[in-house]
Amino acid sequence: MKKMKKSVVVDHLCRVEGQGGISVSIEGRRVTRVEMNIFEGTRFLEALVVGRLYNEVPPILSRICAICSAVHTVTSLMAVEDAFDTRISPQTKLLRELMIQGGNIESHALHLFCLAIPDFLGYSGAFTLAGDHPQEVKTGLRLKKLGNTVQEMVGGRAVHPVNAVLGGFGTVPTRETLLTLKEELMKGLEEALAATEFIAGLEIPNFCQSPTVYAALDSSGKEYSLFGDRITFSSGASKEIKSYKEVCNETVVPHSHAKHSRFEGKPFMVGALARVMINGHKLDFEARKTKEKFGLDSPSDNILHNNTAQAVELIYSIERSIRIIDELVEREIRDEKPVKIRPKGAQGTAAVEAPRGTLYHSYTFDNQGRVTIADVVTPTAQNLANIEKDFRASAERLIEEGEDSLQAKLEMVARAYDPCISCSVHVVRLR
Amino acid sequence: MAKLKIGIFGMTGCAGEQIVILNCEDQLMDILKILDIRSFHTAMSKNDEVCDLDIAFVEGAVLQPEEEVLLKEIRERSVLLIALGTCAVWGGVAAMKNEVSREKLRDQIYGAAGRMFKSIPAQPLCSFVKVDFSISGCPIEKEEFLQAVASLVHGDIPVLPKYAVCTECKTNENICLLLEKGELCLGPITVAGCSARCLSYGIPCSGCRGPVEEANIASEVDILKEKGFTLKDIHNRLRTFSAPAEVLQTYLAKR
Repeated sequence: MKKMKKSVVVDHLCRVEGQGGISVSIEGRRVTRVEMNIFEGTRFLEALVVGRLYNEVPPILSRICAICSAVHTVTSLMAVEDAFDTRISPQTKLLRELMIQGGNIESHALHLFCLAIPDFLGYSGAFTLAGDHPQEVKTGLRLKKLGNTVQEMVGGRAVHPVNAVLGGFGTVPTRETLLTLKEELMKGLEEALAATEFIAGLEIPNFCQSPTVYAALDSSGKEYSLFGDRITFSSGASKEIKSYKEVCNETVVPHSHAKHSRFEGKPFMVGALARVMINGHKLDFEARKTKEKFGLDSPSDNILHNNTAQAVELIYSIERSIRIIDELVEREIRDEKPVKIRPKGAQGTAAVEAPRGTLYHSYTFDNQGRVTIADVVTPTAQNLANIEKDFRASAERLIEEGEDSLQAKLEMVARAYDPCISCSVHVVRLR
Repeated sequence: MAKLKIGIFGMTGCAGEQIVILNCEDQLMDILKILDIRSFHTAMSKNDEVCDLDIAFVEGAVLQPEEEVLLKEIRERSVLLIALGTCAVWGGVAAMKNEVSREKLRDQIYGAAGRMFKSIPAQPLCSFVKVDFSISGCPIEKEEFLQAVASLVHGDIPVLPKYAVCTECKTNENICLLLEKGELCLGPITVAGCSARCLSYGIPCSGCRGPVEEANIASEVDILKEKGFTLKDIHNRLRTFSAPAEVLQTYLAKR
């Protein structure tokens, strides 16, 4: 008998935003190929900033990604300041964190309600989902707007923030602005908590279960945080942020414009699920209860739980934003001017937890403060090798499945990683 | 009245314009009532790849031969093609060093292993197809997009400002960062529409919306030189968002 051949090709999955795809081939009872292809055009942004002055770098590199632009901006600012030994004020630190929490709220709300939930309920997207579940889509849009409002009020713009600059902020938001924001966050928290009931009711399939190493930033601090001073692995290993290259260990692969990462020979996962797995015990308040409600207090080896982990973080980020505002108001807002930057020949590195996982920026400057080397490692790039591992595990388990159903399920796996917006939904083509 | 059939497409960029459209949270459900969205990969599956469209909104710059083909296909099937955002209108940040060979840049990022990747210097949409209308910005302003949609639904071509960010900044009564604070501000030569957003936060204009019609680049450069900036830094700044723009190319060619 002729060997049965099956192949699945999915267009439009990407590097950080844009075009990439999935190719999986099955021959007989064997999965012969799993690839996450990245077709997004390469803009060479890291090479383009070489020769630019230090203060031009954050706004240019923010353009790597629209939906993660707040965290790209802050990570970039921190890397420049790390190089020049700039000490920023506690107020600036809190405001930057608030911006990032806003980005996390917006990104998770968009992914969860508009991009991922339609999968679980069998819709082609939020627009069709809205026909039957208008309430859930409206909740998603309101929470997404809340995250954008936070980013706008602090960062000056929801996409590519303008107000966060080296050493501080162009204009510090007023006490009144922050208190208005707090009211909106309180309302948003109620709404997000109500939505967790709906999310808890979604059935999470387990066709993609596969042992996974998780990685996230961690610190000796007691609170769950999107910042940290070392990279911790669920395998027990730990690395300094400065040694990120040993972790990301990027290699170029022929089928992808994005480089692949492995640590100790194994792929690993970064993102909301990794953070909850590694630092979940530090969660408090309603976020902690939500984590327990979703059963995320025990180890998970199912990437589809990244969706529920995002729901936990949605609650966390709203609660944390409220606490940041309380702290800012309690300390009394000061109209601080940005700290003066003193450029020198030096190297600086920073890492922050972006919505999709750990983001690294690292630069080397000459004596005038011009970039000689720039390196950015995005979470999606780190996840690619792990996505391929999950494709293989899923395809092996679903070997009997028809091509349509196999495609839909592989897309669900890819989408669970939330691999940056433009890649999250795509056209499917059979080859 | 039949709904307008539209498509929202992305070439290479940060997807910022598509995000801004999705950020119209308060209007999104109403937009669905007046527009028949046939293609929008970022937001939905089951896109129609062949149907005729009344309007195609296209963001991003063209960086790959495949994108040129796709763009021409989109043009063929659309009555109107609208360029969204600075990458689509002017080439964007990816076009800042188009004079440097792609091979050299590729080797810098990927090393020898990256040789199989094809890449062409970043170009705006108008280098390949007729663009009927452009909404600039990095990213576009939500209000400009919504107003444009409102005009198009009524059969009108949208009206966008033809004056400089400087004018909006004056209307906002901001202190002039260029003349009074000596900062590297591109407000006088950048097209308006953002209500001088950055300047209102005390941040100089970086020119993210691209040049205003008949921008006097030479005069701007003279002022900046007077303020103590080197020609290298001024030129770098001019080239950041819209290097392929004719007015900038003409100026730089004379240098």
